[in-house]
Amino acid sequence: MAIVSLKGLTKKFAETAAVKDLDLEIGDGEFVSLLGPSGCGKTTTLRLIAGFLQPEQGEIQVNQQVISSPSLLVPPERRNMSMIFQSYAVWPHMTVFQNVAYGLKFKKLSSNESEKKVERLLQLVHLETLRGRYPAELSGGQQQRVALARALVVEPQILLLDEPLSNLDANLREEMRFEIRRLHEEFRITTVYVTHDQAEAMVTSDRIAVMHQGRVIQVGTPEEIFERPRTSFVAEFIGRTNILRGRLDHSGKLVLGEGLVVQAAAQESYPQEAEISLCLRPHNISLVGSASEAQEWQQKGYNLFSGVIRRRTYFGDTFDYVVELPVDRLTLRVIAPSSRRYELGQKVFALAHPDHCVVMGQG
Amino acid sequence: MRFSGVEAVGRLRAGSWRGFKALDPTLPVWVGAALFLVFLMVLPLGWIFVASLKGEEGFTLTGYSQVFTESAFLKAIWNTLIISFWVGVIAVLIGSLLGWLVTRTDLPCKKMVRALVMASFVTPPFLGAFAWTLLAGPNAGLLNKLYRSLTGSEEALFNIFTMEGLIFVMALYSFPYVFSMIANVCELISSDLEDAANILGASKLRVALTVTLPLTAPALVGGFILAFLHSLSLFGAPAILGLPAGLHTITTQIWALFQYPPRLDLAAAFSVPLLVATMLLIALQKKILGRRGYSTVGGKGGQRRLVQLGIFRLPVFALVLGIIALSVFLPYWILLKAALAKAWAQPLTWDNFTLENFKFAFFQYGDTQAAILNTFKLGILTATVGTVVAALIAYITNRQLLWGARYLTFFALAPLVVPGIVLAVGLFLAYARPPFVLYGTIWILFIAYLTKEMPIGFSQAETTFKSIHPELEDAGRILGANRLGVLRDVTAPLARAGLIATWCFIFIGVIRELSASILLFTPKSKVVSVVIFDLKEEGQIGVIAVLGILLLLVSFLVILAVQWAARGEILATRE
Repeated sequence: MAIVSLKGLTKKFAETAAVKDLDLEIGDGEFVSLLGPSGCGKTTTLRLIAGFLQPEQGEIQVNQQVISSPSLLVPPERRNMSMIFQSYAVWPHMTVFQNVAYGLKFKKLSSNESEKKVERLLQLVHLETLRGRYPAELSGGQQQRVALARALVVEPQILLLDEPLSNLDANLREEMRFEIRRLHEEFRITTVYVTHDQAEAMVTSDRIAVMHQGRVIQVGTPEEIFERPRTSFVAEFIGRTNILRGRLDHSGKLVLGEGLVVQAAAQESYPQEAEISLCLRPHNISLVGSASEAQEWQQKGYNLFSGVIRRRTYFGDTFDYVVELPVDRLTLRVIAPSSRRYELGQKVFALAHPDHCVVMGQG
Repeated sequence: MRFSGVEAVGRLRAGSWRGFKALDPTLPVWVGAALFLVFLMVLPLGWIFVASLKGEEGFTLTGYSQVFTESAFLKAIWNTLIISFWVGVIAVLIGSLLGWLVTRTDLPCKKMVRALVMASFVTPPFLGAFAWTLLAGPNAGLLNKLYRSLTGSEEALFNIFTMEGLIFVMALYSFPYVFSMIANVCELISSDLEDAANILGASKLRVALTVTLPLTAPALVGGFILAFLHSLSLFGAPAILGLPAGLHTITTQIWALFQYPPRLDLAAAFSVPLLVATMLLIALQKKILGRRGYSTVGGKGGQRRLVQLGIFRLPVFALVLGIIALSVFLPYWILLKAALAKAWAQPLTWDNFTLENFKFAFFQYGDTQAAILNTFKLGILTATVGTVVAALIAYITNRQLLWGARYLTFFALAPLVVPGIVLAVGLFLAYARPPFVLYGTIWILFIAYLTKEMPIGFSQAETTFKSIHPELEDAGRILGANRLGVLRDVTAPLARAGLIATWCFIFIGVIRELSASILLFTPKSKVVSVVIFDLKEEGQIGVIAVLGILLLLVSFLVILAVQWAARGEILATRE
């Protein structure tokens, strides 16, 4: 059982707050990603959890026990956590075996027992044949696996990962994402994973906490975060999107500009006349060329935007269009299958289902 | 495999967690090291300023006014400036030529040339100066005798006991500073930068003048300042070559003020301008080198094509060997000859061969025996304590363990601006009176060496810790090791090679130290460099040569040890 709660956590560096009043609950056995651009405070949060940093305000609890607060700091070595570092931090003066076995020195185990555990982990990460090698003789991916094995062999209550894949090349990175998820499904260790890569977060996580300027601005499953972003920052950080600004009218419809009114998805209660933004993903928009076809869709409840193709980029399986709307020079990005083709300057109709039109707060 | 969380929960529930303050058991070590360093630096320098302002009663400026009005003192300052200027110029000419040749041309035997420049660097200037008195003394100097026998002339070709001679010898042992700076820069300038100018239509000469030269200019100026500073603070060479000709520099003048009857107030007052001058020059050098970040120009990746010397390849190589001959071959040869000959000026035939000098130096002459022991005792002691202190301080500044850690860097590097003899004045003032009476023991020398070598030790240790990623330590912590455990299991093994190098650099610095020792020794606490200086007065040339060879041999052995240690490190941390 390891339930981690961060309550009102604040950490400053030279008077600028890296983490501000941060709240987050992580359930037992849950895999939570801290996702955000560099400098958003996600690594600071992780190092606060690890006990390398002490908060100025707030506290961290594990199973209702306070382990960090401004007046108390359980040192990292007594937290029963493991961490995988961005640099892997595999010790260059120890062999693969010695690296993995290091953490077991501090558990009261017989040497036979600990050797068995190390062997098991090495097998699990496919390093059993390299046990006598030094890290300098391993590839980046292999070093990464040593770091994984070293972190898991001590059977931590909580596993912390600090951008563990950012130093790997693209193919390996993709492979390791699934590997990390697989290991999580096997061990179910409560895990906090720091990354700036949304795809990594989506593949690995049960829930994602999107961070911006030292705060968590939205927590949810990958689907929730992608489909129901709460702010335009979240919408833009996760996947490509169109963001259109407007306000709600009295009937709950969204007015984007002169004569441009959109029926949006059922939404949280925003007050009437509230200034809000609309998130509309490019792949959720369809293009049609003929006005009659467009009207048919509109009668089925789709929102209709008419506009002119201003840019077209070919991506093999799709076209990426920029459609300019007649109102306020607004543009929409549309990703459409390459089976249908529209020319630059052609008048088209863009259709979007209300379910895909997500209302968000501005900011 | 499911993790049984029972044990883990048990650990978490242990009530001892509550109220566990973030008290680090290693904290006293860090604070102690920091305080020690500050104490070490502040005490002598503070005393210099105090003493320079102190009269019979109360504070006075008479010390300064006397220093800056008496013509003998002004003459010494003037001499120092002239000498240092020319040393700087010649050092830049030789150093940059050699630096460029070994990095950017197809000069033969480059590794050997580098090693020989290193040998000039390791040779204590006072030893070089002594060797040159044997080579180019006006009467008995071998080169002069050779000249006379070849031409039948009665005149001497060279007289080393002149300002020119002094400048010449000091430049020979200052140019390696310029060499290393220029070689570093030349290795960083990629040929692409020159090609870029070439392709835009510039001729080779134009490229050299508009691209290569400006790129190396900061290093040239920086090298000049370094050589200037080096000669400013030298004591041995000016004392050996200048004093017989009645030529005083600031350092020899300070030394003279310490002779009976000592005028400590004047010595202190005279130290201040030297101190201020070094501070200004170092600040200037930092500014010039730091301003445009030239050292990173090109960075890695850029290719460096070698200039083909063509038919000049061998003549240029001969020139290089000629320069090295002046700083290494000739002096070493004459030392070896003097050590092995009954009469050093005669040809080294079987009749003239003797091992008496070795026997005398090592077994018979009490002064040298004690001095050799003292020198190596002090070398080992200072290197050991210095490495520990430097490592602690570097660790604190690198890992930001204490509040204000970056100010410690300033204290650790402060002795850079303090010429050895000035430091000695300060140490004498600080430790010859209660509460710290160290004068008369070797402990004052220990303090002097520890202070003087701190910048080198600290920089070396800093580089070492910089190369050890903090996450390597964090990884140990999170897996269950406490701070000391991580230091033992991770940091220490990784820093081993770097710290061995630190030890060796300090050791070499100590055994060749003269300018501070000369003011701080007493008959009971002599060291080899001081004995060499003393024996010169007595004309014990063979013994001096033996002691000099001993110093050189030990230095080279230690350098080999550094290289051996560095090779080990490359194997361990290659990425």
